[in-house]
Amino acid sequence: MNDTAASHAAPASRIEISRRTALKLFTGGIAASLAGCSPPAEKNMPYVDMPEGLVPGEPQYYATALPLGGYGRGVIVKAVDGRPIKVSGNPRHPASLGSTDVFAEAALVELYDPERSRDIRGTQPINGWTDFLGELQQWSGKAKRGEAPLHLVTSTVASPTLLGQIAALKQQYPGMRWFAYDPLGDDESARSLIPRLDRASVIVSLGADPLGSGPMQIMASRAFINGRMPESPGGMSRLYAIESTWTLTGANADHRLALPPDKIDALAMEIVGRLEGHPGSPLSLEKGARHFVDQMIADLQGAGAGGLLLPGPMLREETVQAVLQSGKRRGAPLDRAAALPAQLRPEAFAAFEEALHSRKVQNLLLLDCNPAFDAAPDAKFANALKGVPFAVHAGLYDNETADLCRWQLPLSHPLEAWSDLTSADGTVAIVQPLIRPLYDTRSQHEILGFYAGQTAPSGYDAVRQTWNREPQDKGFEDWWRDALVKGVVSGRSPQFTLSAGNAEISPPASSQSPSDASAADGSFVALIQPDPTIYDGRFTNNAWLQECPKPLSKGTWTNAVSLAPEDAAALGASDGDVLAVSSSEGKIEGPLRIDKGQARGVVGLTLGYGRTDAGAIGNGLGYNPRLLSPGFQNVVPGVHVKKTDRRAPIPSTQMHFSLEGDLRKLLPEVAPGGSLPESGPKPSLFGPPQPRDPYSWAMVIDAAACTGCNACVVACQVENNVAVVGPDEVANGRAMHWLRIDSYNIGTAEEPRHGFEPVPCMQCEKAPCEPVCPVEASVHDTEGLNVQVYNRCVGTRFCQSNCPYKVRRFNWFAYNSGQEYKDLGEDPMPARNNPDVTVRARGVMEKCTYCVQRISGARRDAEKADRPIADGELKTACQEACPTRAITFGNLQDKGSKVNARRADPRHFTLLEELGTRPRTTYLARVRNANPKLAGGSA
Amino acid sequence: MAQVFKPRANTIALAILVSVPVIVVLVFIVNYQLHASPYATLMGLYVDQPIPFSHKHHVGDVGLDCRYCHTSVENAAYASLPPTHTCMTCHSQLFTNVAMLAPVRQSLATGTPIAWNRVYKLPDYVYFDHSVHVKNGIGCSTCHGDMSKQPLTVKEKPLTMGWCLKCHRDPGPHLRPASEVFDPHVPDPHNDPQKAVALLRHYVIETGNMTDCSTCHR
Amino acid sequence: MSAIVSGAEPLPPAGETAGAPQGERLTHVDTLDAVNTLVSGPLLDRRRWRRWWIAMIVASLLTILFFGSMIYLFYEGIGIFGNNSIVVWGYPIANYVWWIGIGNAGTLISSMLLLTHQHWRAAINRLAEAMTLMAVAIAGLMPIMHMGRPLYFYWLAPYPNTMALWPQWRSALIWDFWAILSYLLFSIVFWYTGLIPDLATLRDRAITPGKRIFYGALALGWRNSARHWHIYQTYYRTMAALATPLVCSVHSIVGLDFAASLMPGWQETIFPPYFVVGAMYSGFGIVVVLCAAARWGLDLESLITIRHFELMAKVMLMAGTVMFLSYATEWFSAWYSGRGVDRRFLTFEFTGAYAPLYWIMIFCNCIVVQAFWFRTVRRSLTAIVIISILINIGMWLERILIVWNTLSHHYIASMWRLFYPTLWDWLILFGSLGFFAFLYLLFARFFPVVSIHEVRELVHREAIR
Repeated sequence: MNDTAASHAAPASRIEISRRTALKLFTGGIAASLAGCSPPAEKNMPYVDMPEGLVPGEPQYYATALPLGGYGRGVIVKAVDGRPIKVSGNPRHPASLGSTDVFAEAALVELYDPERSRDIRGTQPINGWTDFLGELQQWSGKAKRGEAPLHLVTSTVASPTLLGQIAALKQQYPGMRWFAYDPLGDDESARSLIPRLDRASVIVSLGADPLGSGPMQIMASRAFINGRMPESPGGMSRLYAIESTWTLTGANADHRLALPPDKIDALAMEIVGRLEGHPGSPLSLEKGARHFVDQMIADLQGAGAGGLLLPGPMLREETVQAVLQSGKRRGAPLDRAAALPAQLRPEAFAAFEEALHSRKVQNLLLLDCNPAFDAAPDAKFANALKGVPFAVHAGLYDNETADLCRWQLPLSHPLEAWSDLTSADGTVAIVQPLIRPLYDTRSQHEILGFYAGQTAPSGYDAVRQTWNREPQDKGFEDWWRDALVKGVVSGRSPQFTLSAGNAEISPPASSQSPSDASAADGSFVALIQPDPTIYDGRFTNNAWLQECPKPLSKGTWTNAVSLAPEDAAALGASDGDVLAVSSSEGKIEGPLRIDKGQARGVVGLTLGYGRTDAGAIGNGLGYNPRLLSPGFQNVVPGVHVKKTDRRAPIPSTQMHFSLEGDLRKLLPEVAPGGSLPESGPKPSLFGPPQPRDPYSWAMVIDAAACTGCNACVVACQVENNVAVVGPDEVANGRAMHWLRIDSYNIGTAEEPRHGFEPVPCMQCEKAPCEPVCPVEASVHDTEGLNVQVYNRCVGTRFCQSNCPYKVRRFNWFAYNSGQEYKDLGEDPMPARNNPDVTVRARGVMEKCTYCVQRISGARRDAEKADRPIADGELKTACQEACPTRAITFGNLQDKGSKVNARRADPRHFTLLEELGTRPRTTYLARVRNANPKLAGGSA
Repeated sequence: MAQVFKPRANTIALAILVSVPVIVVLVFIVNYQLHASPYATLMGLYVDQPIPFSHKHHVGDVGLDCRYCHTSVENAAYASLPPTHTCMTCHSQLFTNVAMLAPVRQSLATGTPIAWNRVYKLPDYVYFDHSVHVKNGIGCSTCHGDMSKQPLTVKEKPLTMGWCLKCHRDPGPHLRPASEVFDPHVPDPHNDPQKAVALLRHYVIETGNMTDCSTCHR
Repeated sequence: MSAIVSGAEPLPPAGETAGAPQGERLTHVDTLDAVNTLVSGPLLDRRRWRRWWIAMIVASLLTILFFGSMIYLFYEGIGIFGNNSIVVWGYPIANYVWWIGIGNAGTLISSMLLLTHQHWRAAINRLAEAMTLMAVAIAGLMPIMHMGRPLYFYWLAPYPNTMALWPQWRSALIWDFWAILSYLLFSIVFWYTGLIPDLATLRDRAITPGKRIFYGALALGWRNSARHWHIYQTYYRTMAALATPLVCSVHSIVGLDFAASLMPGWQETIFPPYFVVGAMYSGFGIVVVLCAAARWGLDLESLITIRHFELMAKVMLMAGTVMFLSYATEWFSAWYSGRGVDRRFLTFEFTGAYAPLYWIMIFCNCIVVQAFWFRTVRRSLTAIVIISILINIGMWLERILIVWNTLSHHYIASMWRLFYPTLWDWLILFGSLGFFAFLYLLFARFFPVVSIHEVRELVHREAIR
């Protein structure tokens, strides 16, 4: 296995070169204009020794896992000629269920990022690793003698092998200290919960965001939608969201109430009290809110064990514990995420800072973490770190922390290294490399191996040892192979492992006390949350994630400061005005986003931005909210907001969000079991088109199941080589995403709500784009696809101007073929391109193709075997990625196909049906399970 | 006052007027002929190779099957060139120290691939799949000609889009029974309507989509 | 002497009985020779061209700017324009429609007025026809600058190729391609035909052998024989008869570029006719300006008289009123359709982001021209020129707004976006104006801007009355 993985590097480079030249040709358009006159000599380079099982140009699939916030999500990665080019979910893995999230999809950009740390950096002149190992030897000596004890700092660790190594090091080095932290904050107890949303009938989220980004997002979303489907047993669940700023959970709620954190905290206690039957004095709320709360609690009590009360990270630790206790008593469907074994617990980051500032730290290893940015971005910490004589940082990037350390060790990407990862629910997957390390890097295990005194540590061996505890174990090889193939480990347990279920979590000393956080003195409460596309700052240099629109605001390339309209008006500020937010600790500046439905007196901030040494892509974007908060405090009371005279409009992919009047029919909504007025295709003079082919592809998108997570958007981008255009071009309205998720403000002024609607190409049967193209670049094929022939397109753009759905995208510049944004054109980045999809030249129109390359692939396989393509055999990239299975794709002529069944659904509707374009992409209406006793309950 | 123009000026003027449309028409014709000619298509041209590999010898004289070297032709888009090891299966025994084969031995020794020059080249935006053609009764020689007669590989067909379409519009006359697919000597096209119909049915070929743009471009 | 004036002898056959317009005379010259001298004089005498040189320098600078930005455009890509993925069309399209419109008027004037025996056309038709050629040529450049891959523009033409591909005949752009091409070729022939007798005159009056050969070659041996004149008249009138439908077809088809779609504000059957009227409207506007310029620059006050301007003002008044009607029809049908999207679109036109421009457009195209109801205005050269310029500004705004409004405010609310022009958009627009002036000045330098023989005919007719 190792060999196969390793031997990939060679062909990778080979293909890359030939593609590059090919791309250059294509760019100039000379490829066609020279139509052969003198085609440049091209070389064919066969292998010297072909790797076993490799067929040139044919994809290979490997099961592995990718980390997010430390936890793993199982994935299956597609490699062509040794180049990983697509990540998709692993159906066998409970944290993936065959689906992905934006971070998994975009992991490839990280792998191929030209700015990754390539060489070890430290002494001058540098002799690579030998210098480092020499120095390491002296210091380990000291450490063993107890003179300079080893200090290890990590972020959340969920790798059994890594745990084992750390435990071993603790034996080896007396007085070694291990610190770990989660950049999102020290409020694990609320953050690391696995709500079993499919088993709940009434869900009340108290500022929790289970549907938002995070290691449990896929699990939670799938469970939530399973409990929401009208056909789901026990009827459809109802979700109440009580939160301060908009989250995906709030956007998907049936009822939502906006309150500041302290109010939510108090309300939580009230609810618990009333559920436990000893109501205290009710919290003072204005009339509407009070009515809302009473009805909600009634509903919750009615649900019994199906009633799920979900505490959010912004609550005080005591409150969280109280909520959890009452939940446990009522048997609410709520589990805890996998946690570290009691005998192997890291110390909190605060302890490390204390040690650092008291000059106790001389021998320091910072393993794959960036505290100088995401934990303590202050000069005090920086100076202290600079003073550490043997400070070693091992990471993918030469980042803010690395700059302060004596050594920067380049770390291998998870797709380049052997490891193992536990997922939030405790499932373990083996991480296997898809490609030999592109640079002279080492994996975490290998680096700890060096510290353990090995001269040539191998991650491969380390991982195998973890799982093969008795040396002569006959069954191991079979087990190992099976684990690699399945991507999920079963039947064996390593010495140290994380365990899910009811593991105890010691309540950390919670410094925050939101009760004193009232907006009375004109000050605000800042609420800090992970960014929906950049998360904690680990992905700041990832261009795909930067350009991926934030689910609700559709802003890109920066984080915003969000305020309630009333507060914004009070400041006399409008969208895009730069606001200065200051606390006792520090000051930040960011562009304002006015959020209808945000709690008054609350400033919404997100993590991950404001990096100074992320790389060309990520530097200088947005602000770092940690500057406001000591430690990991996510609720910062007493901040002051001032309007500056500068403006920095947020590059956005959507300008208009409201649906007045008859526009509302763009996104219809029904009650559970409800249906839309029957509306078949209108009669046509030409009659229905007669298919000349056994396949008629169609797609149905369930608007009720779309949580707006964006996984499909990025999946489409990866699969189809969709270009990144950069912030300026996004601001110019030139974002290239083939699949967009329209985000609309629906609901009333009292209770604003959000609706999502993914819009790919409609693949109209009577496509308006086709008759207007002067060169037949936009044509219909016999399977009903409305195909765009890039190499025929001359760029008159008549098709897009005549497209009622505006789903076409134009290459105003050579975004992907010569005029890339920043360093996106540099090697090895182009190696990520999917070889089955043309890289579009400048001046060419492009659009969603239903992943025609996959259709063609499936069709060729079928033709070779003289069999038809089976229903479900063929999946589009968006369909594959969707955590909630909102997208169905299939053959209309196969009467039994799932897509036909969906089209017969009473919720089925067609976008702009009155135009008679007869789209192949159709929708199922949103479903709102409103409480009849509440406003809008009649909806 | 002296005449400005001689009488023949009339003829010249007339000639100029007439020649304008004629020239326009000529431009179209010449341009087409040029692009259809070997000058543009490189059809029938030999390409020098680092090793003067002769299909004539290996296929014609020795009688190797195409698939012995082009292993993936039946199940992949690329027919693929043989790795150096394949050459050495024989040449570790035969002609072991012929100068001509030095590059092969060197490649094996140094592990550097042999850099062959491309003969059959399609643009990047054309997605051709060998396997689906071979599996559906299109013989190698339909596009590559009779390899058993080519000392150096020569581009036998123009490979223009028009040329592809001719077959995609009416594949019947170019189909063969599976047994003849790898036979370089089979004449192409066969002009036998019955055979064409029978083979189309045998290979279950849906001609409906064969001229869709999406069949080759994506 | 007689040799020199020979161009004027014998008098051309007087046209049909339909007399000259009643009341005051159209020209203020009495001898036919005076006409020859007036028109051809400047061309054959290089001492009278100072004004011309000044104008030429300005025009050349703008022309350089025009082609400079075009080169940069081809090098950098059309991303340099203000377009976005929603408003995919912009200035080049608007400029294109505008220039075509202007190009429309020339042949219209000469052919229609000829067929309807409007003899006053004699003084202005040459100007107008030349304008047509240059405007259409410039218009032809615009779609190429608009294209994403301009080097493949020839794919719109049906030429035999190894790809076995043809253009897509259902596309209005292809119809356009043919309409423009045929119109351009026809206009060249029509213009040149009208020029032949004058070239002969110039040949005969030329002093230097160089000029004599230049004009002589172009005159194709015209000898003013009665036979020549007979053939000429029949041929010229047949051409005129052919021209009229062509003129209408050209701009109707440009109208179809928009009408043959299903976007709100475009999908309207009224487009073809009102594009033609609009074309005539802006065309006459430019003709007025050119006449004024030529009159002033070449001292032709006695040939192009205020009477001409007054007549043109009347035509514009008519056209302007028709435009107003067309707009009103649009508004009505949008409201009357009852479709939400059309009504929203209408509201957007009047109150949306582009509303100020829309109001200016209505003012220029519909309101200002009403001043021509008053004789005093019709007879004031300055007034007419200013109004003509306003009209052309208005007509350009109309074209850009047709593009902007529809593409910015359509069916899907999430994709509503505005267009913000860049420097390059403006450079292309004003550069094209400069290029037009450049071509026109060259024409005025080497060819008679007024049809000598037709004015002679006119003078003769007025003399014998």
